[in-house]
Amino acid sequence: MAVRRGPRPAPERLRRLLVMLPWLMERGEVSITEMAEHFSLTSAEVVADLELASMCGLPPFVDEMIDVFIDEGMVFTGVPRVFTRSLRLTAPEGFALLTAGRAAMAMPGAEPDGALGRALDKLAATLGGDGVVVDFGRPALADDVAAAAQAGARMAITYWTPSRDEATEREISPRAVFADRGHWYVLADDHRSGSERSFRIDRILDARPTGEIDPPRSVELPDTERWFAGDADIDRVTLRMPTELTWMIERYPVDSLTADGATSIAVIPVLSEQWLERLLLRLGEGTTVLQPERWTSLAASAAAEVLAAYASVTRNS
Amino acid sequence: MGSVPPVVPYDPSMAEPLERMTNLLALLLETKTPLTLQQIVGELVGQYPVNAAAMRGAFERDKSVLREIGVPIEQQVLAGNQAGQTAYRIDRRRYELADLELDDDERRALQLAVAAVRSDESWGRDGLLKLGAGGERPSRAVAATVPTFEALPPLREAVAAKATVGFTYRENVRRLDPFGLLLRDGYWYVIGHDHLYGQVRTYRVDRIEGGVTVGVADAFERPSGFDIRTVFPSDPKLLGDAEQEVTRAIVRIDAARAALVAGEVGESAVVRRCDDGSIEVEVPCVNRDAFRSWLLGLTDHAVVISPAIVRDEVVAWLTALTAGAI
Repeated sequence: MAVRRGPRPAPERLRRLLVMLPWLMERGEVSITEMAEHFSLTSAEVVADLELASMCGLPPFVDEMIDVFIDEGMVFTGVPRVFTRSLRLTAPEGFALLTAGRAAMAMPGAEPDGALGRALDKLAATLGGDGVVVDFGRPALADDVAAAAQAGARMAITYWTPSRDEATEREISPRAVFADRGHWYVLADDHRSGSERSFRIDRILDARPTGEIDPPRSVELPDTERWFAGDADIDRVTLRMPTELTWMIERYPVDSLTADGATSIAVIPVLSEQWLERLLLRLGEGTTVLQPERWTSLAASAAAEVLAAYASVTRNS
Repeated sequence: MGSVPPVVPYDPSMAEPLERMTNLLALLLETKTPLTLQQIVGELVGQYPVNAAAMRGAFERDKSVLREIGVPIEQQVLAGNQAGQTAYRIDRRRYELADLELDDDERRALQLAVAAVRSDESWGRDGLLKLGAGGERPSRAVAATVPTFEALPPLREAVAAKATVGFTYRENVRRLDPFGLLLRDGYWYVIGHDHLYGQVRTYRVDRIEGGVTVGVADAFERPSGFDIRTVFPSDPKLLGDAEQEVTRAIVRIDAARAALVAGEVGESAVVRRCDDGSIEVEVPCVNRDAFRSWLLGLTDHAVVISPAIVRDEVVAWLTALTAGAI
């Protein structure tokens, strides 16, 4: 049951009431418990809403009153014909339903010809047109890993860790697969560290089922806003960069970004030195590390290393 | 009015605003002819304040709450002996949810879909309740974050209605015939014909400042065969000036990254496998910025082999970086 603070605002209660009345009308009688569960409210909130409803109706408030009566946890209702159908879907509701449907169709394991596809066709027929495309562009292994998460199948994986620039062998029990900010991740029991960890699926170089099946375990997906920001202890870098290039860092959890015309100052948590090297290489010569001092020449040394690779490949080719 | 008292003695002066709004809604749904404020107050006896200004204020608040939750209140200015007065009613056909005729398995599938989407808003759940699907969120082994912005619902309606939209983007007012919305790489894009530029343009929805205005329906035709995926290619390295001579580059990937890159670009892009485990891949480089960004993300594991002009550009970029430190 959702925990709420304070009374629900009037628009929310009215919105809910207009959904409740046709729902009650269809059923005639229903238990308060079932009603509370269906609408994700407390029993007290349900009773309060029903009491309110019993005061409403059409002038002269006799024949067309909303007739609600509660007895031993059961609700008995007679709703006047005026509220027999729900209020239409609002623009945000229509958007959210269509988008959720399209998103689910783009997830591993979706069946294009299944019930969801039919539901979406019916929704689109009512809400009008197509025009919403959701593309999660999933890596090749996403379907296998998602299937393993459904089945509880343990996997042996080869995983590349960019911050240390090394590939390691691990055994994981995938629990949930999720897309966030353009990448697919698997939340899994990592048997090497003995803890729950998220792995980026496009960094799994190879995955093989071990044949073991683990008992199911429900997991909480990490918080979308904070989960990849890491902890507060990690180092920060301060960059002076062209404002037109700030799009390159938008994907990362930026502490602050201040634009002053064509130049911007950004403070960014640094996941690893290798990560910062790659970022600086991509940003190019227009960007300068202001702080900390130990990284002020990082871009130059990283560029020199890459140039060395160019020199050697020319010789070998 | 109220000649026979209801079973529970009804005292309209005790009506709380929520109750009054529900009664107003019922009245406007039932009325055959639009009602003026005076007529409404006459029907909802004692529920509105007597003082004219307070009465008008309370009514305006009720009306705006009803509109906020999506009730389509229509208003018209009357002629004849009521000339100048505004009258209100609600068209039941526009108020009521159309019957989607969802089967149980289809309703369940939508419920699962909404549960699989991680969003900051409750829009999806509110919509599900109207469709008769409530209760606990089913848990899913697969989920995805779908960012939401206030601009998205009106944009989607405008796409469906073929209505021209107006919005502010980078401090400029844009007018766009929106052809579609695309969620890719964690960002929402709206794509359409830009009136000012006279061509198809793409805008990031999270960068739209303030509200979106939606014009009249059927204001434009979507080009036949329009496919948002091709207008906005999945590979940013493909974006840009297609007339450019050099559109593809051969890049050598060393053994340490070979599997990773082959998985990313696809086996068909691997043009050569070397004995030392390194590979050569052919990738688009039309958009040189996106190409360089991808390439340098691989640091010294990736080297451009050909064409020479692209290789020289990268070397020049890196050389400038090494010079910067001196």
